Amino acid sequence: MDSPVKGWRDSIFEATAFFFVCIFVIFVLILIFADVFYIDKRAIVTVLTSRFIGHALWMSIWTSFATTFISLFFAVPMGYALSRLRFPGRIFADTIVDLPIVFPPLVVGLTLLVFFSQTAVGRWIQEDLGIEFVFQPKGIVLCQFVAAASFAIRSAKTAFDDVSRRYENVALTLGCTRWGSFWRISLPLARNGIIAGGILTWARAFGLFGPLMIFVGSFRGRTEVLSTTIFLEQSVGNLEVALVIALLLIFIALVAITIIRLVAGQGDRPKAGLIRPASGGVKL
Amino acid sequence: MIRTERISFHIGTFRLQDVSLEITAGQYFVLLGPPGSGKSIFLECLCGLKKVDSGKIYIEGHDVTSLEPRARNLGYVPQDYALFPHLTVEQNIAFGLRVRRHSHKDIPSRVTETADLLGIRHLLSRRINGLSGGETQRVALARAMVLQPKVLLLDEPVCALDEVTRQEVCSQLSRLQHHLGLTVIHVSHNLEEAFSVADRAAILHQGVLQQVGTLEGLLRKPESEFVARFMRCGNIFYGQVTGPGPPEAGLIPSRASPWQQWQTRVRVGDIELSLLGEHRGNVKLMIRPEDVLIRPNYEGRSKGENEIHVKLARRRNYGGYVRMELDGPFNLVAHLTDAAYTELKVEGGADLIAVLRPENIHVLTR
Repeated sequence: MDSPVKGWRDSIFEATAFFFVCIFVIFVLILIFADVFYIDKRAIVTVLTSRFIGHALWMSIWTSFATTFISLFFAVPMGYALSRLRFPGRIFADTIVDLPIVFPPLVVGLTLLVFFSQTAVGRWIQEDLGIEFVFQPKGIVLCQFVAAASFAIRSAKTAFDDVSRRYENVALTLGCTRWGSFWRISLPLARNGIIAGGILTWARAFGLFGPLMIFVGSFRGRTEVLSTTIFLEQSVGNLEVALVIALLLIFIALVAITIIRLVAGQGDRPKAGLIRPASGGVKL
Repeated sequence: MIRTERISFHIGTFRLQDVSLEITAGQYFVLLGPPGSGKSIFLECLCGLKKVDSGKIYIEGHDVTSLEPRARNLGYVPQDYALFPHLTVEQNIAFGLRVRRHSHKDIPSRVTETADLLGIRHLLSRRINGLSGGETQRVALARAMVLQPKVLLLDEPVCALDEVTRQEVCSQLSRLQHHLGLTVIHVSHNLEEAFSVADRAAILHQGVLQQVGTLEGLLRKPESEFVARFMRCGNIFYGQVTGPGPPEAGLIPSRASPWQQWQTRVRVGDIELSLLGEHRGNVKLMIRPEDVLIRPNYEGRSKGENEIHVKLARRRNYGGYVRMELDGPFNLVAHLTDAAYTELKVEGGADLIAVLRPENIHVLTR
C-alpha cells in the first residue's frame, strides 16, 4: 500500500474523514429511495405514455446539449484569453464571468425578460430582427446559456492556467504560430478540464428551472422541459408523476455523466517526466 | 554567428542589462551564473520568447531582433525539457517537421535518423510518461535537432540528471557538437559541467555580463571578485601598493615577458608581498587555493620572500584533494593533493609556511 505506517490516532482521523463521506452519500441515496418507494406503477405508465412528457424530455435533452456546445464554443477562446492574455480590465472581465454563478437563477430569467421586453435593444432584436426569445424554445437555450456558461468558461480558464507556458514556448520555437501552439498543444492538454466544465454546464442547464418559468414559461408541447414539468405536475397534485419525472431526470443525468466520463477518460494524458503534469482544472 | 548588441530586458524588478556577446560558428559556449542571474531569460531573448526592451540580436549577420521565434531557426531545449506529454516520443520528435509541413514521406526517415544519432531509436513508440531523466533529455534534444538548426540553445540541459548520466550526456553533447559543427549555447550554474564541454564561457550576475573568455582565463585571470568567487576561489585579500620593488632574479620565472618582470610591493595587513606587473593605490588580490604552496615550518629556517606563517585550522578531504583552511595574517585556503598532504605529515594546529609566488597572485581589476 502506498501510504505511511499508521498509528491508532491516524486511523481515527481517517475514519472520521471517511465517516463524512458515508453520511453524505447515504443521505442522498435515502432521498432517492424515498422517491422510489413513493411512486407507483400507474404514475410510471402515465409518464412513459404521455406525449407531452416525452416532448418535455426531448426539449430538455436538446436544449441542454445545445447550451453546452454553445457554452464551450465561447469558453475555449475565452478561457484561453483570460488565462494567457494580459489586457486592461482582465480582472474585471474575470469577475463578470463569475457573476452568473452567484446570481440567483431566478434573477437571470427576470433580467432577460426585462431586457427583451422593456429595452429598445431587446425589442429591436425581437421585433425588427424577428429573433424571438421570450416564450420561445430558443429562449430556453438563452436562459440556460446565461445561467450555465460561466461554469464552462471558469473551467476552461483553469485548464489553460494549468498548461505550462513552456510547452507553448517550445512549440513556437519549433515553428508553430500562436494559433498552432494553441491547437496542437494547449487545447489537447487542457482537454480534460474543458470537458469537466462542459459536464458542469450541461448539468446546470439540464436541471435549470427558475429562470425558465419566468422567461419562457411552461407551455405544454412547446416550451416545457422536464424540470418545469415536475413543477406543473406537483402543482396540480400529481405528486407521484412529478417524482417519476424527477427520477427520470436523475437517471438521465447519471447515464449522461457516466458516458461523457468514459469517453473523455480514454486516451488520458500521460504525466510529463519532470514537470508537474498540466492537469485539467477539475478532475474527471 | 550569434551576436547580441547591448540587449536589455526587464521583468518585475529583474533587469538584464546591456548584454553584448559574440559567439562564433562552431563554438561550444557556456553561459554561467548563479540561479536568478538572468541566464535563462537571456536565452529566451535569443529565441524570441521574450521581446527585448532595447538592443539588437544578429544571427549570421541578419538582424533578428523583431523576428518571431519560429523564423529564427534556433534549436531550443528549455529547462525541464517540456516534452509534450500528450504525444509519443516519435510524435514529439516529429513535431517540428509536421508543423513546418515537411512531406509525409520525409518525416519518418528524418525522425529515425535523429533518433539514431542520439541513440534513442528504441524509445520512439514510448509515451513521454515513464522515460528516465536521461532519456527525456535526449528526446528533447532530438526534438530540437531534427530541424537541423545551426545553433542549439540549451537551458540547464543536464542539471536534473544524476552525476553519471550528466557526465555521459555532457560528453555526448560535446561529441555531437564537433561531429555536426553546431554552435551551442549552453546555460548552466555548474562549473564541472562547463569544464566538460565549453570552448568559451561567460559569467552573468544579476543581469550583468561579468566576464567572457576561456574557462582557463576565467579561472586564472578573473576581473572581479564575483568571478573569482564563482570560480571557487575564496582567497581574496586587499592590499596597498607601497612601491616598486626591484626585480629579484630568483623569483622571476624566466619565461616572463619584460614588463611582467616589473615588481610591485604590496602591503597586506602586517606583511609585504611582491607582485608582478605595475600597480598603484589599493589593490584587490587573489590566489587560487591550488596555487598556494605549503611547506613545513622548519626550525631555524628563515622566512623568504612572499612566505607567510600560517596555522592549519581545519582540513577536509574531498576525495582527491585536501582542502586546508589556514589562519595567518589573513585567512587562506589551500588545496593539496592527497599525496602532497600525506607527505607534509601535519595535523590541525600545525605551524606551516604558505608560499604565495608572485606569478600566482592575480590582481582583480574590477
